[in-house]
Amino acid sequence: MRSFPFTAEVYFSLFETYNRAIWPAQLVAYALGIAIVFLALRPTPAGPRIALAVLSAFWLWNGIAYHFMHFLQINFAALGFGALFVLQGVLFAAMAVRGGRLQRLRADQFGGAGLLLCVLALAAYPLLGWLADHGWPRAAIFGVAPAPMVIFTIGALLMLEGAPLYLAAIPLLWALVAGSAAVLLLSAPEDLSLLVAGVAGAGLLIWKKRKS
Amino acid sequence: MRKPIDRVTRRTFIGSLAGLGAATVLPALAQAPAQGPILKKAIPRSGEQIPAVGLGTWITFNVGNDERLRTARAQVMQAFFDRGGVLIDSSPMYGSSEATIGYGLAHTKRAALFSASKVWTVLKPLGVSQMEASRKYWGIERFDLMQVHNLLDWSSHIETLKEMKALGRVRYIGITSSQGWRYGDMEKVMRTEPIDFVQFTYNVVDRDVEERLLPLAAERGLAVIVNRPFQEGVLIDRMKHHPLPPWAGEIDCANWAQFLLKFIISHPAVTCTIPATRRVDHLEENMGALRGRMPDANLRARMARYAETV
Repeated sequence: MRSFPFTAEVYFSLFETYNRAIWPAQLVAYALGIAIVFLALRPTPAGPRIALAVLSAFWLWNGIAYHFMHFLQINFAALGFGALFVLQGVLFAAMAVRGGRLQRLRADQFGGAGLLLCVLALAAYPLLGWLADHGWPRAAIFGVAPAPMVIFTIGALLMLEGAPLYLAAIPLLWALVAGSAAVLLLSAPEDLSLLVAGVAGAGLLIWKKRKS
Repeated sequence: MRKPIDRVTRRTFIGSLAGLGAATVLPALAQAPAQGPILKKAIPRSGEQIPAVGLGTWITFNVGNDERLRTARAQVMQAFFDRGGVLIDSSPMYGSSEATIGYGLAHTKRAALFSASKVWTVLKPLGVSQMEASRKYWGIERFDLMQVHNLLDWSSHIETLKEMKALGRVRYIGITSSQGWRYGDMEKVMRTEPIDFVQFTYNVVDRDVEERLLPLAAERGLAVIVNRPFQEGVLIDRMKHHPLPPWAGEIDCANWAQFLLKFIISHPAVTCTIPATRRVDHLEENMGALRGRMPDANLRARMARYAETV
């Protein structure tokens, strides 16, 4: 039987250490996430660029602060994960700077489903974690931990009109692989929402692309 | 690896300390199904004797910076040393395990230590710096055994290891693999390189190495460390709901862990096996396999047949 090189208890213990080390970055992350939801509900010309810049910051933070500086202590694979997250952060940053193809950020049709995923990441995911006995400080917090941040990213990409599909490749891959691994091997039922977001998000993003 | 029970409360911590004390003062009351000396086996190249059960650290010692879990692992190490254990095996691949061992070594008392780690990277210079980092994590002057992990870039690292051994910076060198598809390469290295140890998987159901690798190790005078004696806990989980066969008493087995470990360490070519655990009570069961009667070839065959039916 192949398994992770660490147990579920060590995994959540790491979150405790991480959350205490980065406090109050979690509050900043929540504020930024809520701001993107408001930008979707009240679209502005600068909305897409702001959303992409925030997503870039989230992915870079998760790659460097979470994967490289913490998760790598217990999992050698975090080196590769961190590199992928940094790459995704750079892709979002590049898109934010160019931004030519982006039209708007709004919660209509597909964007509605995206908005639901964003709310899931901000509110439902921590509630599910709390119910699974993974509350603060042992919780994966929005914006600074991969799972809820990836759910939010998939939601944001559904709300962003004109975003190229390749931007969703790493988030969807992470949702499908990490989501199933966490549910099966780490007794983290809250990550079932990551898996569901990955499957639903992949279908919706492809459908949206075909319709556009 | 068995079910995780890591929550050490004040009550269980004090209880375990009391248990350790009782085991020291009243050894007859500690779990020891058989008395007598512990089984030691000789490292063929030197004749040095080491106990046939060591301590593995895959997953179990990867606890990050959690002080409570580090303390719990130090308790496991102390129980290991108290019961005559000597060889501890780890790897840079095991996350924070080597740092946890270093913490444990700084917080335990022992008569002896046989330190075994691995080099697990590509390129010779990266291997050199990785081995030095491991030495610092452990907090020791030098390793007794350094192995090339899973044969990764073995041709580069084997040259480094030979140089280190010549300079007295490591006592023994070896190679490891837990991947059956690498056993062909392992056989090649065993035939051509001046190594002292090999490490691979062997247990009552994974017995492929009986055909070639174990006889070759004996022929070449190599010490054998056996990993995954419980198939990462799968065998224990499978067997724990069944009673031991009545004839297990003939080899002084009080539990399935001892049944499984005695099968391995009674093989003439095996020097040591390295079960990993995070629990002192499981460690005690494992170390109990070092005492009492061992199965002969006929009984070993019977054990293998029985295991297939459970």
